[in-house]
Amino acid sequence: MLEKEILKEFQDIVGVENIDDGEVMTNAYAYNWCIEFVNYMEDKEPIPFSPIPKAVILPSSTEEVQKVVQLCNKYRIKFKAQSTGLGPWNQPSTDNSVILDLRRMNKIVKIDVKNLYAVVEPYVSGAQLQAETMKYGLNIHMPGAGPMASTLASHTSMAGPGFTSPQTGYSARNVLGTEWVLPTGEILRLGSFGLKNEPDWYSGDGPGPSLRGIMRGWVGTKSGLGVFTRVATKLFPYPCGTEYVLKGHSPIYDFKIPDFIRAYVVDCKNFKHLEKSFIRIEEEEIALICSHMSSYAVMAIFSYTLESLMDKIAFGSMKSPLVIVIAARTKREFDYKQKVMDYLMKELNLINIIGTKYEPESLFYAECLRTNLGYHGFIATGGFQSAKGQCDSAALCLRAEMKNKPLKQKYIEKGVIANDFGEGAWMTSYESGHFFHMEAPTFFDQTNVESVKGMGEYMEESNQMDLLKHLGVPFFIEGDHLHNHWGPHLMNYHNWLRKIKKIFDPNGVSDSGFYISGNEGDV
Amino acid sequence: MDEEEYQKMIKRCVRCSVCKWIPQVQIKSQKYASGCPAIDIYNYHPYSGGGKIILALAYEMGRIKPSEELRDIVYKCTVCGNCAVACKYMSTLEPIEIMMKLREKLVDTGCGPMPQQKTYIEAVKKVNNPYNEPHEKRMDWIPDDIHLDPKAKVLYYVGCTSSYRRKEMAIAAARIMNEAGISFNVLQEDEFCCGSPILRTGDSNTFEEILNKNLDIIESKGIETVVFSCAGCYDTFKVDYPLSRKYDFKVKHTVELFDELIESGQLKLTNNVPITVTYHDPCHLGRNAERYEDWDGDVVPLMPLISINIPPKPKRTGSKGIYDAPRNILKKIPGLKFVEMERIQEYAYCCGAGAGVKSAFPEMAIKTAKIRIEEAEDSGADILVSACPFCSTNLQDGIMDKNSKLKYFDISELILMALGLEPEKLKQATAEVA
Repeated sequence: MLEKEILKEFQDIVGVENIDDGEVMTNAYAYNWCIEFVNYMEDKEPIPFSPIPKAVILPSSTEEVQKVVQLCNKYRIKFKAQSTGLGPWNQPSTDNSVILDLRRMNKIVKIDVKNLYAVVEPYVSGAQLQAETMKYGLNIHMPGAGPMASTLASHTSMAGPGFTSPQTGYSARNVLGTEWVLPTGEILRLGSFGLKNEPDWYSGDGPGPSLRGIMRGWVGTKSGLGVFTRVATKLFPYPCGTEYVLKGHSPIYDFKIPDFIRAYVVDCKNFKHLEKSFIRIEEEEIALICSHMSSYAVMAIFSYTLESLMDKIAFGSMKSPLVIVIAARTKREFDYKQKVMDYLMKELNLINIIGTKYEPESLFYAECLRTNLGYHGFIATGGFQSAKGQCDSAALCLRAEMKNKPLKQKYIEKGVIANDFGEGAWMTSYESGHFFHMEAPTFFDQTNVESVKGMGEYMEESNQMDLLKHLGVPFFIEGDHLHNHWGPHLMNYHNWLRKIKKIFDPNGVSDSGFYISGNEGDV
Repeated sequence: MDEEEYQKMIKRCVRCSVCKWIPQVQIKSQKYASGCPAIDIYNYHPYSGGGKIILALAYEMGRIKPSEELRDIVYKCTVCGNCAVACKYMSTLEPIEIMMKLREKLVDTGCGPMPQQKTYIEAVKKVNNPYNEPHEKRMDWIPDDIHLDPKAKVLYYVGCTSSYRRKEMAIAAARIMNEAGISFNVLQEDEFCCGSPILRTGDSNTFEEILNKNLDIIESKGIETVVFSCAGCYDTFKVDYPLSRKYDFKVKHTVELFDELIESGQLKLTNNVPITVTYHDPCHLGRNAERYEDWDGDVVPLMPLISINIPPKPKRTGSKGIYDAPRNILKKIPGLKFVEMERIQEYAYCCGAGAGVKSAFPEMAIKTAKIRIEEAEDSGADILVSACPFCSTNLQDGIMDKNSKLKYFDISELILMALGLEPEKLKQATAEVA
């Protein structure tokens, strides 16, 4: 709880009803997905609760966020901002903290059809924004986390790869102008939004040196460097016709499949051929989705229950599956893309399972367009997290996957993570093969302590392997402990990161539990 | 849900927040993407379905204690079930069942229900209705020209709200059945509260007594079919009663009966009703009216950490609610133009009245109704129609509060218009002030 006088000062900013420091409220905000193994990895009890914040605050504007942050500086209380709030990164690392739930900041500020960008506040979900941009024939990028996730959070504070990454890139790369409340309470407007005369949101860089790298870091600062209150994101042409008709009832809606969309599922049989196929297909720049995933994951994306997943056991024998979706706005474009795919299938000696051995529910196509496929990962055990993640060339991503396979198998055999019948990786290209993304989705049971511990140990060993085998920096190097471990092996980047943090956040109030603290050991 | 299942399930929320929205693939606009009145109004995460699962876990772990703070959050929910539909699109979690179990636990500790709800529970115990109206006036709604048949095998179970507050619905239902030549009777002095308002507050012991009393009476009369114009009574009899005690008679909502009668030609809708109408799916008649299916299978471990149900365990997804019947009726009324709102059927937005909210948190009820009314206005309709006396009361209160030009009718009143009933009879059936 907050001291009465401090509570009163926060209430004066946001209103009495928009701050709550009660036992029930603060405990509820201490919970999140995957916190149990994060706790275990930090030698704490593996329960799904983080430290309990002193209060939860619901600001409604940038000005209110600014005042709240200034007050946090005054009283040296840490703050943790969250939007839609999925994942352990939303949790405070100390009980001397308040949570800023940005739910009331939920406006689509602008959709600029001519210049292809949209400006949103933190609590606009991907599905909401896409539904609105579709009205103009436009699309957005959504992360694999799904359409319920905040567009702003994914863009400013995480990396945000997604299923449509071949066409729509990834969140962090699509950031244009940004409004940012720094840890000191100053407001910084990045890119063209920072112009003195006629500021607008169309560019993320300049005037002057770009600060997007500082904003983003490796995979986002996760509220460790202030609060982002508005962001502009790139828009893309919607990949096919925008008529969107779903009939029937949940969960198996009958989707009116657009005229020009087609799915391919192929088995590349081995890594070498997978790499060749992946790169060749992406070279042609025709794929909306081009994802490599485990055979289990292929079964999962076509299933809505565990039992129906088991009906697709025939997919389980695939060695190196690739899921491709092409879509077009005109028949001519579609004919061209299909022709290219036909040619590639022959060239690469691949057979499409879709249309020969299997026909998916029409709903599959709606989920492709809405980026709802990642959610299927929860079907097996209910618990799911990526043990590692790389962002590099196809060769390195695949190497990371190959090296990870026996490690993962070791933990599967221990019975602490679930068997996913294969490579246990998800991989996509960004921007038609310019570079690639790989992560290792892993299924564990969050209600089973041994499984939670096993997941934590597997993640630690997987991270360590990346270091020893030169596989690049994993996604989840977060917090002082891991940065201090990795930094000396990578040109002491952690010292630079720490300097940035110190300059931007001299009082260390922007919770760095999933970023880096200004002073080693501060968090 | 038994205690063991509850204890396991409360550990499984991944805090994805899909429970706050309608199913993700159904979102067609920013304005109407949300599905949960409680989170829309109170904003803090614990008001959502997933948030209440977290509260249940925190409570079981001893992190939080029974308190007014906890009680207010747990009871500021209409139990509309949208969170369950959205969650169970993929998951097997039961946010509503968990929340109801949490309410039961709060009742057991004396913390729940809300004081206003305790008052109406006492009224039910004393005079058999939550409005504290005299029991002997329960059948005062029956006009002289309604024909009842004491030997009928069809029972019209009127319910407290239609008997005392929404008499126009009861009158309309009775007139239509008379018009179609359906032989029916009512329970007269033997009709009591169905128990729904009590069950939804978590007072399961009192509910159990009520359901046994009601079933004893109905079964003693050799009734074959019970017809309800109240969606709440219908849902309670259809879905909740069998969980405690099975029965042999059939249950039907009037929209199902009237749809059948129109289809068979027993009711002829001949009069032109030139209005533009949209239909609000009551939660009790829609997603929550899906029965639990018996399952006697096995949980078979397939491999470490993964078990499957053999045969597959039926999942209540809201898909088996009564959605077609009211729409069939409206589409068959001559001259009537039917338009849909954006959130319909299993992902319809709640009216805001349910589960004791109207009595304990009237401001929440009105705010929710106004959100729904705005959606109805946006549909282009000039008439909002539904088939539930709770929705009727709350939506009409919302229309007044919002100063909306929209008019509200129960679907049975539109059928009366289409049947061309004499104006004075229609006049008798107009809504009384809520």
